[in-house]
Amino acid sequence: MGEAAASSEVTQVAAATSSQDPEVGLAAVAALRGLVEVLEALQVENARAKGWSWRQIAARLGVTKQAVHHKYAGRRFGLRR
Amino acid sequence: MPPRSEQADRELELARAEADLLGHRYLGPEHLVLGVLRDGASGASQVLGSFGVTLTSARAELGRLADRGVVPGPRPSDAELLGALGIDLDAVRRDTEQAFGFRAVGEATWRVTRRRSWRGGRVVWTPLCGPPFLAKHAVQLASEQARALGHREVQPEHLLLGVLEDARQSAAATRGSRRHRQIIAHVGLPDGYLGATGLLLAALGVDLDRLRDAVAVELGGIRP
Repeated sequence: MGEAAASSEVTQVAAATSSQDPEVGLAAVAALRGLVEVLEALQVENARAKGWSWRQIAARLGVTKQAVHHKYAGRRFGLRR
Repeated sequence: MPPRSEQADRELELARAEADLLGHRYLGPEHLVLGVLRDGASGASQVLGSFGVTLTSARAELGRLADRGVVPGPRPSDAELLGALGIDLDAVRRDTEQAFGFRAVGEATWRVTRRRSWRGGRVVWTPLCGPPFLAKHAVQLASEQARALGHREVQPEHLLLGVLEDARQSAAATRGSRRHRQIIAHVGLPDGYLGATGLLLAALGVDLDRLRDAVAVELGGIRP
């Protein structure tokens, strides 16, 4: 098996993606979800560190304050470290 | 635990490159064998060579294992998948690490992937983690071998011993932890995967016990 052949095959799969092929489309969505969760955690943690209330954070995320508290409450995200 | 030698580190990097070439989105012990072979300058690769194992034959055999479904076929990487959606993963990584710090990003990744499911937003793996490192146990066993022998550094021969020991132990094990099973499903490995080294070397006609003895003899020549 040629090295170049294997890697070009992979890039072709990715290039031919869009949402047509479920194999690639679903994997892309899963990757995107993973990325979103990390970015959200970083932003919420940062906001809490800056003294934002759960209500303020929830308003920006478009969810209830209970929802964001349920997901992120814990010692790590508390106001007092 | 003794640190890895420069050569062992290089072979680990080569193993990563081999996994990339095969389109595998994880690093397993079978890739470590390929990394040792690709380096070709260590005693470990000479021992493998004396058993008739070459980089070409090992790559071809791993390709056949992929056809049999033991390991996955080529898959696009996270960067390629997100690129198809118009997202530049490297740019996102660079920007977030600049804004929040390398450490904070790593910690957030750790917390998100280990969050209790009742908190919601559970993901097994994120593109910011890099490919799962499934050769951890083999590398740990390699350090233990080096320490048991009183050697100051983990050499490629120890790595190979660790891989062989890992293959022996995982043949006896039934299944990994819940998290391990979630991760192997995520990268497209079949249920029950605990490393494909045993199958790979068996398909190449190598007797694991005899190979282990040969590596141990090779190690006898290394000064501690």
